[in-house]
Amino acid sequence: MRPISRAVLRPYVCPSCRHISAGRRRFSSKLDAPELYDVVCVGGGPAGLGLLAALRASPITSKLKVALVETQDLHKAQSWNLEPTQFSNRVSSLTPSSVSFLRSIGAYDHLDVARIQDYQDMQVWDGQTGSRISFDWSMETSPFEDMRTVATMTENANLVRALLRRITESGDENLSLFSNSTVASIENGSDLQPEGPDLSAWPVLSVKPTDPAASTPPTRIAARLLVGADGINSPVRSFADIPTHGWDYGRHGVVATLALDNPSTPPFPAYMRTAYQRFLPALGGPIALLPLPNNHATLVWSTTPEHASYLKSLPTPSFLAMVNATFRLDMTDLSYMMGMDTPSSNTPSDSSHQDELTWRIQHTPLPAHIPPPATAVQEGTVASFPLRFRHAAQYISPRIALVGDAAHVIHPLAGQGLNLGLADVASLARTIQYAVSHGMDVGDLLTLERYSSERYLPNAKIGGACDLLHKMYTVPGSGPVAWARSLGLETIQRLPFVKGFLMKNAEGY
Amino acid sequence: MASLRPRTTPLRALRSIQPLTRPSPLESTLSARPNIQPATQTPTPIRKHSTSSVSADELSHFSGLASSWWDPMGPSRILHLMNPLRHEFIASCLAEGSTETAPSPSTPNSATFNYLDVGCGGGIFAESLARTIPLDPNTAAPTPTRAASMTAIDPSTNLIQIAREHARMDPTVDAHLRSGKFKYLNTTLEDVLASTQSPESTTTTTATTTPPQYDIVTLFEVLEHIDPKTSSPLTFLTNCLRALKPGGWLIGSTISRTVPSFILNQLIAEAPWPIGVVPRGTHEWSKFVNPPEVKGWLQEGLMRAADTGVSRGGAGVAEGMSWKCVGAVYVPGFGWKMVPGSEDWGNYFWAVRKGV
Repeated sequence: MRPISRAVLRPYVCPSCRHISAGRRRFSSKLDAPELYDVVCVGGGPAGLGLLAALRASPITSKLKVALVETQDLHKAQSWNLEPTQFSNRVSSLTPSSVSFLRSIGAYDHLDVARIQDYQDMQVWDGQTGSRISFDWSMETSPFEDMRTVATMTENANLVRALLRRITESGDENLSLFSNSTVASIENGSDLQPEGPDLSAWPVLSVKPTDPAASTPPTRIAARLLVGADGINSPVRSFADIPTHGWDYGRHGVVATLALDNPSTPPFPAYMRTAYQRFLPALGGPIALLPLPNNHATLVWSTTPEHASYLKSLPTPSFLAMVNATFRLDMTDLSYMMGMDTPSSNTPSDSSHQDELTWRIQHTPLPAHIPPPATAVQEGTVASFPLRFRHAAQYISPRIALVGDAAHVIHPLAGQGLNLGLADVASLARTIQYAVSHGMDVGDLLTLERYSSERYLPNAKIGGACDLLHKMYTVPGSGPVAWARSLGLETIQRLPFVKGFLMKNAEGY
Repeated sequence: MASLRPRTTPLRALRSIQPLTRPSPLESTLSARPNIQPATQTPTPIRKHSTSSVSADELSHFSGLASSWWDPMGPSRILHLMNPLRHEFIASCLAEGSTETAPSPSTPNSATFNYLDVGCGGGIFAESLARTIPLDPNTAAPTPTRAASMTAIDPSTNLIQIAREHARMDPTVDAHLRSGKFKYLNTTLEDVLASTQSPESTTTTTATTTPPQYDIVTLFEVLEHIDPKTSSPLTFLTNCLRALKPGGWLIGSTISRTVPSFILNQLIAEAPWPIGVVPRGTHEWSKFVNPPEVKGWLQEGLMRAADTGVSRGGAGVAEGMSWKCVGAVYVPGFGWKMVPGSEDWGNYFWAVRKGV
């Protein structure tokens, strides 16, 4: 029946029925009111999911009504799977304090432990001066104990999957996951006088599916506390009008998953693994090789954008030769090899890089602490990303908190980015627990300032230290800066308590 | 310390605080008046109260602070910072006598306590406690304070209005306001006690005392604002105890009248910016009370509150009085900390339990 005929069939509405229809209109005006949430997190990366998992795990905050908005497909992330011999190129190192946070919220058990790798020693040396420092806990550990872990390598996908599993395990009561969804707009709510509360200070999000073909209307949700875990270009941060300071390093991080040769001497004890980092002042940044299971390793090479695109253009054998050369040869040799012609695709057998390495290595004295040679690159894992420094002017604003990359982006040379994000999340979750148990509004500035005062300084300290290290180690040549930094490194190496202090700082103890 | 750092409230913070500072008819009359007013001029909108312990000076001082009451960086910041400690102190009192209180709690942790907050001001404590009242009364209480209802009273019309406006900004608290589990009343304790008396009971001689209704009466930062010239703290505290059910707690906080508290509260805390953290004229050192004084008044008050038309309470009521007292210290940069022993010279919390 066409709608028009209905009006014909209804010429008269009695007063009581009019009352009903008026009542229905009032109901529909209630539908215009946004759905209320205690915590809405924008961004489903490790930080956002970590916050949600932490809130769900604590008996104090598990009753809070929480939501998460993520543009990617969370179901896909939860069912992520790779062959045991394949590793994603997005890998992070977790410090022991991050690991203990993940354990405390019950997420660590959901990690696929066959895909994570602890390491107990880290060799760091200066490619210019050869001065070296070894980060391990041997001076704090008795010979009868197991070697203490310096950090744990995990693929981000493995961590995200574990956090999602933990959240799913907590049930779906009071939980909304907006997967494949973007935040179309954030604005302040309105006063729902006289029937409802005054939401004029509450952020109201309009969430819509990323798929443009989807016809579902945007969902409106209001947040008591809106958490921006939405990365470096955080929309939540822009809504809160929080400025951010920083600079681009003019460097790219080249990453790849590599297979390594067997070490020439088997490690002792057998479980012992080592991470390697060599600073290359002449090439614009350090190269690092961090261990993954089954003799695999992940490469993080900070270098100039020109070198980065050169490296990405190389065929696999030449790329491997460059990586192995970079851990072994002199600055002069490396600068020369970086300028060699890229072997063209029609001569795949061109072995000029390998030949160059073989010849030059005969004339280079090799230190004892170099990684085993890389033998293969996993296909499709060579990629690069720009290195930046950012620090938000504030982490909080009324009903807003920023965590992770939305609040700070640092140089990756110490592998601290993800750890700072998880420390933020642990602190914010503690803050929310305190607020709930003391009758405080979780979005109130007085609540949030506990989080901000706990995290702002430590993040600025670590970010600043990484920035300083980067700047010290990009001064080429053997001038006073090179002399000073190698003196500093040698001094730290010889003073165990200074080294222990630095390592504890880096781990967030 | 808030006032030591530059006021860097972000733009958005100002925007969101705006609903508070929106000039209401009451406030516009307030701000139109000069800051320093002749003592003869009576503050604008005060209700006439019959037999009240409220002093006109105190009323006008706090009414003037109304607009900035909820500004987290404003003059009431130090009160806001103290608020979590109040919850902790109440929880510690309830933990002591949890087995005996409240005659019929169905489950050990259900929210069963009816609270009365006397001198609620802009509602810092009242609103935070109301937030812990479960929306569904059958669920377990989310906090150890186990509130089922909250009645908050204050003689200042301005502050009650500010409190109501602010409460509407939290949907949970707003729901409690609508359901009546949370009430703001612009009245005095004396009027609350009088209104609970039914009209016919006033005529009979047997029921001069009313059936008390509250499990917990709170009195935070109120005692030091009672004007000894117009009202006595003893009468006031006796009235508080009259509002309590047997086994209920009267819980408060105040400041000792000592040399350190004079230096801290009068000289330093009320000093001009950037040293001071409290608006000038908030405290009057001579009105401060020491713990032994509070304890003495409460002993006497317990006896008087137990008096009925037919029998006297007697000293037995006060003998087994459970008295709790602990000091609190504000450390700039770190906030408030409970420091047992400091009650003899500074801020302190106290509590007394009415016999079952």
